[in-house]
Amino acid sequence: MEMLKKIFKACYDGIFEGTSKNMRIALYVLFGLTALFIIFAIQILFWGLGYTDMDNNFTWGAWIIGDLGLVGLGGGAFTTGYILYIFRVDKLRPIINSTVLIGFMCYLFTFVFLLFDLGQPLRCWFGFAYPNWGKGVYPASMLTEVFFCLSFYFCILIVELIPVILEHKVLIKNKYIAAIAHYMHLLMWTMAAGGTFLSFFHQGSLGGGMWGALYAKPVWYSHSFFYMAIVAAMAGGTSFMTLIPYIAGKIMNKQYVPMETFQLLARISGFIFIFYFIFRLYDLYMYTFVNAPMGGREFFDMWGGYYGAWMLVLELLLFAGPLVLLNIKKFREQEKFMVLGLACAVGAIVTSKLSVLLHGFAAPNFPWKGFTAYMPTIQEWSITLGCFAVMILIYMAFVKWFPLFPHLEHDEHDAHH
Amino acid sequence: MEEKKIEVKMKRKWGMAVDLDKCTGCGKCSVACNQENNMPIFEDDSDVPKRVAFLELMKVTNDRDAKFPDVKTAYLPKMCQQCEGNDSGKHKAEPPCVSVCPAVATDVGDDGVVSQVWSRCIGCRYCQTACPYEARAFNWWKPEYDGSFKKSLNTDVSVASRGTIVKCTFCSHIWKRERDKAAAKGILDINEVFYTPACVGTCPTGAMVFGDLNDPNSEVSKLANSDRAMRLTNVIDDVKDAEKKKALLNKKQFPNPKVYYLTSQSWLRDMMRFKKNS
Amino acid sequence: MKKIERKDFLKLGGGAVLGGLSGWVFSGAPFLGFQWLAEWTQDQYVPVKGFEKYAQAVSDSCPAGCKVSVRMIGERAVKIESKEGVCPSCQNALQLTYHPERISTPLKRKGDKGDGKFVPVSWDEAIKEISAKMNSLIAEGKANSIAAINKNESLNGQMMEKLIRSAGSNNVYYEPSLKSLTSSALGGYIKYDFKNTDYVLSFGAKLVEGWDSSSDMQKVFTDWKAKGTKIVQADTVCSMTASLAAEWVPVKPGTEAVLAFGIANYLITGKRLNSSGEEFGKWSQLIINKFPLAKVASYTGVSEDRIKKIGDDFSKAKNPVAVAGKGAYGVSASSAEIIAVYCLNTLVKSSSATLMKNSAVSYTSEFAGLDSFIKSGNFSMLFLNNSDPVYKSVLGEDLKKKMEKAFVVSINPIMNDSANYADIILPSLSFLETATPENQAVVVNFKESKDAKEIIIALSKAVDKTKNTFAFSNGIDSFKISGKESASGARFSFNVDKIKSEFDALDKKFAGNAEYPLFMIPVEAPLVGDGDGLAFPYVLKSIDPTVFYREKLLVQINRETGKKYGLSEDESIVIKSERGKLSKVYVHLTDTVAPDTVAIPLGFGHESYTVYGSEKGVNPKKIMAADVDPLTGTADWWSTRVKIS
Repeated sequence: MEMLKKIFKACYDGIFEGTSKNMRIALYVLFGLTALFIIFAIQILFWGLGYTDMDNNFTWGAWIIGDLGLVGLGGGAFTTGYILYIFRVDKLRPIINSTVLIGFMCYLFTFVFLLFDLGQPLRCWFGFAYPNWGKGVYPASMLTEVFFCLSFYFCILIVELIPVILEHKVLIKNKYIAAIAHYMHLLMWTMAAGGTFLSFFHQGSLGGGMWGALYAKPVWYSHSFFYMAIVAAMAGGTSFMTLIPYIAGKIMNKQYVPMETFQLLARISGFIFIFYFIFRLYDLYMYTFVNAPMGGREFFDMWGGYYGAWMLVLELLLFAGPLVLLNIKKFREQEKFMVLGLACAVGAIVTSKLSVLLHGFAAPNFPWKGFTAYMPTIQEWSITLGCFAVMILIYMAFVKWFPLFPHLEHDEHDAHH
Repeated sequence: MEEKKIEVKMKRKWGMAVDLDKCTGCGKCSVACNQENNMPIFEDDSDVPKRVAFLELMKVTNDRDAKFPDVKTAYLPKMCQQCEGNDSGKHKAEPPCVSVCPAVATDVGDDGVVSQVWSRCIGCRYCQTACPYEARAFNWWKPEYDGSFKKSLNTDVSVASRGTIVKCTFCSHIWKRERDKAAAKGILDINEVFYTPACVGTCPTGAMVFGDLNDPNSEVSKLANSDRAMRLTNVIDDVKDAEKKKALLNKKQFPNPKVYYLTSQSWLRDMMRFKKNS
Repeated sequence: MKKIERKDFLKLGGGAVLGGLSGWVFSGAPFLGFQWLAEWTQDQYVPVKGFEKYAQAVSDSCPAGCKVSVRMIGERAVKIESKEGVCPSCQNALQLTYHPERISTPLKRKGDKGDGKFVPVSWDEAIKEISAKMNSLIAEGKANSIAAINKNESLNGQMMEKLIRSAGSNNVYYEPSLKSLTSSALGGYIKYDFKNTDYVLSFGAKLVEGWDSSSDMQKVFTDWKAKGTKIVQADTVCSMTASLAAEWVPVKPGTEAVLAFGIANYLITGKRLNSSGEEFGKWSQLIINKFPLAKVASYTGVSEDRIKKIGDDFSKAKNPVAVAGKGAYGVSASSAEIIAVYCLNTLVKSSSATLMKNSAVSYTSEFAGLDSFIKSGNFSMLFLNNSDPVYKSVLGEDLKKKMEKAFVVSINPIMNDSANYADIILPSLSFLETATPENQAVVVNFKESKDAKEIIIALSKAVDKTKNTFAFSNGIDSFKISGKESASGARFSFNVDKIKSEFDALDKKFAGNAEYPLFMIPVEAPLVGDGDGLAFPYVLKSIDPTVFYREKLLVQINRETGKKYGLSEDESIVIKSERGKLSKVYVHLTDTVAPDTVAIPLGFGHESYTVYGSEKGVNPKKIMAADVDPLTGTADWWSTRVKIS
């Protein structure tokens, strides 16, 4: 009993020591969400998905939105890694650890969400044991592709994350560990290359191919969605990776990453956004004039109910943020405009994922049926927000105890000399 | 000793024709299907989007196109349409749901019937997302049978666990039953086996017809080729130009279902398409 | 011996672990583990296997007498099959037989009536108590205070009638049906020769949706389709019958009778046709005076030209027939309406409508019909033979009050709203568990229930006066005394004196009412009918979301009417009539309903009809019109003046 009390006190102090009042409140909220998450996770896993608002028409909901969003925004990890290790743009080095961690968490929680979304999570290994392969290496099912690709990529992310963990000031003292960490750093480019290769596939399949392959659903069927999703991931992901350490820095009142790194990544994001924007317009054109009519529908007739055309308008408006604010140097170099641009970029990606899912499922399948709606239940909210809370907590833990921003310590170290 | 090798290739392609000019919406097909396929029992089954039923009796009115008193009503019994798909580009013909299952829990048989093995299903619901006919039901809750209701369960259909997808299989377990009966009598040619699904067997007006679409003389073939035949949301049927149709089929897959709805009523033909044919 | 140092120990330990792990992997144990895991996820009930066979059965509980083939697995009946149609109650027989809430022993009330608290008693005790009560009432000369309400005219209904009449009572009633209504109005129920007719003029009769004998009508409909028979449906709602008909004549709610008057008027004055019915002259005078075509057109919403055209088509057809009896399972028609429609048949000398009677069924009792009995009758003892008048009659609440003061015995297989107010419940069997002269029982009775016929025989033998009513003691012998159908031989009379008050009533009803500007009429969902189906889970599975969705009962209202009252889809409204109000109903806007009408589904709102049937929606009969027809003794509940808020 005494032992437990001691452990609890140690943990509590470790977390809450020296925290301001606002921080304490925030931590309470996050831990509260985590607790709710655990409670409802048990309910869903043991008593079934009947407790969600998903149904036979609205097949997927909050968790797949979470998956799409996390994987899409987590795409910043492979983009940043590729630019740093293959293109050797060293200015991005200060942000890479944070990016790798965020990427890792995004994919980890994608798997967590998927676990809840499966009706039979204990059978998830069937996707590997009985995969739906088509001819040769071309998978018949996009989900088979997703299963394998995501799993391999997750392994790569783990490998990329290990050096960050090993460089903990206690662990790094061991010479074996230091050696491993050093060699891993040297070979990290292979991981980056492999990760990019895999990412092109699963970003395309999870973000777009999954939907574009559904030939019987004119609301989604498209040949180009697969490719557009890759570009979207690169564009939005980089913005996301920039935004997070920036926000963390603002909260803790520390310059975690030099401003020029932020601006560089923002500039890259804005640049890719131009391509994404053009691609999106082409995509809308194809839907309106080719894809939907082939399926006997009018594309704009399929926007209605709660998730009407306003979603599309919002998405296109949000594009303006990165297109203008991140590309034009004058705006990019002003901090508040840069942040606005980054936020709009992330917003555009999130809106596009929301619209794919919500508007896609709401569209009626039969001419006499109307638009349907989706109101997540407390279970879905708790699990989704709880996972986000855990992600924030892990990030905060890493910021506090692991060298997420090693250049800071080097700078301090150098400063002492 | 002579070894008689009986190698029989399945020649039948099962299809259904539902004559909406004869359907009175009595609902007996629905009860028969539920009874035959061990549908789970709920005290309140009014949460229709979560309802587990293979056959949905959809009520169709032309409120979209007309005003009182030019309105009409019809009931459309809808079950899994056993889509065939079509060869297009580099895709071989496959129903929209079969190509997307990550665990191969659903597959097309030689007789064209799309099977569903709930014990393989991991419950990802991708097939449900892909299905344009909302024909697949997911066991959101654990299927249960209160007390003595268990006594009327059919042993030919296994009870699925929660978190899996189930759907109409044109009662292929009845086909198996008939095949076994035939085999017991010494008839080993599987093409000699005919059967009737539960819904068709109970239709009192003969609105539902079932048979072999590969046999041009079967009643279902004749009905499927008649002027009155239409298929749900399979818009390629409306393309009259043969060249255009061929090009489109080469470019894209269409569900190509095996359930034909027959109607002479133009309002119903209009309602089965998203755009009213003027 | 060499000292084992720490690093040796570590090396040994590491090697042991590694070796163990690889051994475990290569032994196949993890794969076996996965297999076990997969099997563990298949946790489900497995139906008991058995030898497959087919058994035949005939239903003796529905008047149609459906013949079915039952697939059995061992001793379990798993499927009802039939080459021809079966009526829904027979289709649901499996769900009734194996219903977990089936009453398994005789029950005696404990606590207040309506509380639903019963304790099991033995058959002997139950019969003893009932017969003692009957004996004492008969001895006191109060035999007439013993009453019975039968569900239908099936064999056990006929036997109950025989029992009660031989006890000396004249208070035997049948729940209103097409047969009972037409018998009271015309002196016989109508046997339609649908096979040979080429023109059917239906006044609100939902011919293919459960009207009369649903299984027969499906066959008839198939015939009609093949022959090209023209169906003309006068109806307020474009239901399936109206949609499948050649012509739908939309009429304002409840005005089918007026339309019949109009057409009769036209045929008499315009085409100079005559009817052979008694008092024809008097009747036609009244009709011509009170219902000129202009008035008919304004009341029904059918133009004068159209009325004339229908009259022309009807009279010119080779073998026309006019059909009365609005509704499907829940049939309603006033005597004036039935007479008027039958008059049309006599005007064109139709050979397709003949008046019949059943030798074992008499619809003439102390009171003209069930509702007049509930309203004005008194009883000290009441038998409910599988009937549910508390739920189905618009005077159900009044009946409840009278039942509270009487000794009530209910014979039924599952609980219903009326049995909830009984003193003793005697559990009966489903038809699958009873034998007929043609076949044995398909399912062995696995409870202490008894065949309703045998219950009635046992009761008869326990009461002094009725000891010799039945010359046998087995249920199967009772088929010998099954009633025979024959031409009624009654002379069709217009009964003007009795029905002329209805003409004024109709005038008043359709003239206009500022306080209650709308009309409420019933509609029925497939399989639910007028209430019986709701106890069965597979019926619940078929209910359309525009009728009952997520525990909300939806009423159908015309879109223009909806606009007029500012109603939106799914909105919650309150419907008020003179008799009361219904709250917690929701709006479904559709133009398949005529303007200024509220179409409310029947069959919902049971209070105690198993967990599947109870607490779902509302029962509209509670607020429906309750004017009792003088000839049929049944409330004319079809159209009720209402307002919504």
